[in-house]
Amino acid sequence: MDGIVTRSLRKSFPVRDRLFGRSREHVAVDGLTLTVPPGSVTGLLGLNGAGKTTTIKVLATLLRPTSGTVTVDGLDVVTQARDVRQRINLIAGGERMVYARMTGRENLRYFGLLYGVPTKVLPGRVDELLDLVGLTDAGDTVVERYSRGMTQRLSIARGLVNDPAYLLLDEPTLGLDAPVARDLRRVVASLAARGKGVLLTSHYLTEVEELCANVHVIAGGRHLAEGTPAELTAATGGNRKVRVTVARHSASLAAAVAGFADRLGVTATCDPDDDGGAVVSLSHPDDVAGPLVTAIVAAGGAVTGLELSEPSLEDAIIALAGQAPEPVVV
Amino acid sequence: MAVLGILRAEALKQRRRLGGSKLVFFSMLLWPVLELAGAFYTVRPVMTAAAAERWPAAADEHQLFAFLATGALGFTFFFAQVQSAWHFSFERQTGTLELLFLSPANRLVLVIANGAGALVQNTWVFTCFTAAMLTAFDVVRVAHPAMFVVVFLALLFPAVAWGALLNSLLIFSRDSAFLFILFSEPMSFASGVRLPVFALPVWVGTIASLLPLTGSLVVVRGALLDGDGLGELAPHLLGLGALSAVLVVLAAVVLRVGEHRARRTGRLRLF
Amino acid sequence: MAVAAATFQRSWKVTARAYPWTYFTSTVVTGGLTVALAYLAFHAIGGGRVEAGFAAKAGSADYVGYVAVGAIAFTFTVRLVLWVAKALIGEEREGTLTALVVTPSRRWPYLIGCAGFSALSTLVESTAVGAVALWLGVRFPAVEAVPMILAAVVFAVAVFALSVLVGGVMLFAGEAHITQNTLFASLALLGGFSFPRDYLPGAVRWLGELVPVTQALDGVRAVLAGRTAFTDLVGPLATSLAISAVCLVLGAVLLPRAERRAIERAF
Repeated sequence: MDGIVTRSLRKSFPVRDRLFGRSREHVAVDGLTLTVPPGSVTGLLGLNGAGKTTTIKVLATLLRPTSGTVTVDGLDVVTQARDVRQRINLIAGGERMVYARMTGRENLRYFGLLYGVPTKVLPGRVDELLDLVGLTDAGDTVVERYSRGMTQRLSIARGLVNDPAYLLLDEPTLGLDAPVARDLRRVVASLAARGKGVLLTSHYLTEVEELCANVHVIAGGRHLAEGTPAELTAATGGNRKVRVTVARHSASLAAAVAGFADRLGVTATCDPDDDGGAVVSLSHPDDVAGPLVTAIVAAGGAVTGLELSEPSLEDAIIALAGQAPEPVVV
Repeated sequence: MAVLGILRAEALKQRRRLGGSKLVFFSMLLWPVLELAGAFYTVRPVMTAAAAERWPAAADEHQLFAFLATGALGFTFFFAQVQSAWHFSFERQTGTLELLFLSPANRLVLVIANGAGALVQNTWVFTCFTAAMLTAFDVVRVAHPAMFVVVFLALLFPAVAWGALLNSLLIFSRDSAFLFILFSEPMSFASGVRLPVFALPVWVGTIASLLPLTGSLVVVRGALLDGDGLGELAPHLLGLGALSAVLVVLAAVVLRVGEHRARRTGRLRLF
Repeated sequence: MAVAAATFQRSWKVTARAYPWTYFTSTVVTGGLTVALAYLAFHAIGGGRVEAGFAAKAGSADYVGYVAVGAIAFTFTVRLVLWVAKALIGEEREGTLTALVVTPSRRWPYLIGCAGFSALSTLVESTAVGAVALWLGVRFPAVEAVPMILAAVVFAVAVFALSVLVGGVMLFAGEAHITQNTLFASLALLGGFSFPRDYLPGAVRWLGELVPVTQALDGVRAVLAGRTAFTDLVGPLATSLAISAVCLVLGAVLLPRAERRAIERAF
């Protein structure tokens, strides 16, 4: 079966408080089932400690699952780890993963050899990758002298050196400048278009919304929801927010707003501000800005400002994570 | 009492860094004991009757061991200072050193406290070991019980002064590893830790006289093994006191120059 | 072999770029001072004589020469162990262990690449200690080439095997400082480097026999003493190789576990 497939994946770590204390088990990932298909970007979202990095490291063969199975194009990550490693690569934003005392070019060459890239192909690929991450001019400079962003870009090139079929990206844009992060997103999108499977975790949810065809949300190591970013936002009842400022606060205005909210079955606020004006806010799944403004004007209010905000994936994640169980410690 | 406060704070920091850690057991007991045993067996084959005419300690295995053990004890005191300075220099890399210099604490007190804070914690195990061995071999000859206090002070004060200078140097030195090398094996060699100073070439002995460890060892061995009293040891004690004072003054100068320079260049570096 | 060659090249480039002169100096100074100490003890205190039993225990009456050979061998041992055993835990500290483990390359070629380079680098340092010994008047006897090379190769294999095992222990424990210094302090006492092991009390002497390096050093000393007959060499060298094999097997069992543990340590 194509793609990275996990079935009931569970990973726990022994935790010991004191030297001779009783060993407990901390469950980082609990019964996770998901698929990373080739040719698209799959997102993995959750708050800190949700189990994202553990999941990625299990898929990368770095950690052994406690139970459950993980296969990459049908190859098992435990029993066929070497074959799996040939097909995947990992880019982790938080870790350096390149040698400080070697130049960018030497790093890529070294890792290329470890992956068994033929020596005839290797120099060309190294040049290509340096060009891709914009390090052609710095290719012969030792990494010690790189800025953080440059080191991170080199890590990305290292992650592509074996031309992997699947790329696991753990916070790849962490600490990158906005233009570099944008370039990386472009690279990721083009990799997916060329048929590679990508699994992405990121704190930047706009990044996930932009890139991912499908998103899995986990919390406390458990799978909570799956869908396109739009589906997830809709499913968690994401509300549009309307905020109207009115020139003068009055009792009749407050009554009109309360009556309007009542008819919609929600609550609204109508608070006086420091200048004697009023701020009216209301949340509702539908776009109710027009009727609300009409109601305010009908009550004699003079509207001085209007702000609308669309529901976001961020709200959806927070809403989902809020319902999630606490991490399990057995 | 700002001085006491800084001393207490540094001692706490050192205890947190080392405290309860296995490292003290290994680096301050097991390794010195193994090295002491190795040194004993290495020089053992040349300790013949002919050698005893030049050096009385060669005549008796217990005397020889006592000589080497007191040498190792003195070295432990001074080497603990080298190690604490080494760790202090790490604070430069981790950035906490700048925080220390942000505080209004007296710099000289700070470097003295850094060395002294760890000294007793680092050396008490090996001190106990040496005391037990010397007692077991029945080689201790003291003129008066108070000489034990003299021995302790003759180790403590020069070691702390030495530590203050090293800490000051290492704070500002880029290549701290080099000083670390210079003051481990070569210091042990020159100061007479393993051989009596008369066996060393004259030029080595001259350099060694500038190292406080040399003087400390003369006092420790004189008082503990030869039964010398205050009278016999007075010149050595005076010399040791003067040398310690010079070291502290040097430390103060280095700190002043170093900090002045650091303020100007923005880099904590003197050499 | 591509992996071994790549690792060799990598070590070469990194070292050539920033040669650790401080470590070189430290190693040579420590080795040189050991010889100097023996020289002074022998001449200034011993009056150029050793006790009667030394020659029987050491196989030669040349006290300073005995210590010098030991110092050279010890320098070689310490440096090679540091290079090879600390290679993987060094990767962990540099943040590159994950990148290394995620590649499909095998670990043995990697370790052999490390060892191949470090053997060269360590030879330079050992030679420098030898130069100090020459300067102090130590004269090494002319030896037969074939037995000497044989003994030296077995010695290098023994140090490599020890390094692999110790490297596994370090990575498993996530700690190098205590492990390495305890090993070196014990080896210096038990390994017969600066004095014949026969001086040690019986039970302690046997501990030294468990280390492959000890037996290999016996072989080297036998060749230097001119005892190059098959019967003189086969005992210590074969024993050393057998113990080395045990170390390598233990290392092979331990390393994958240690790697997994090191990766999980990040959590």
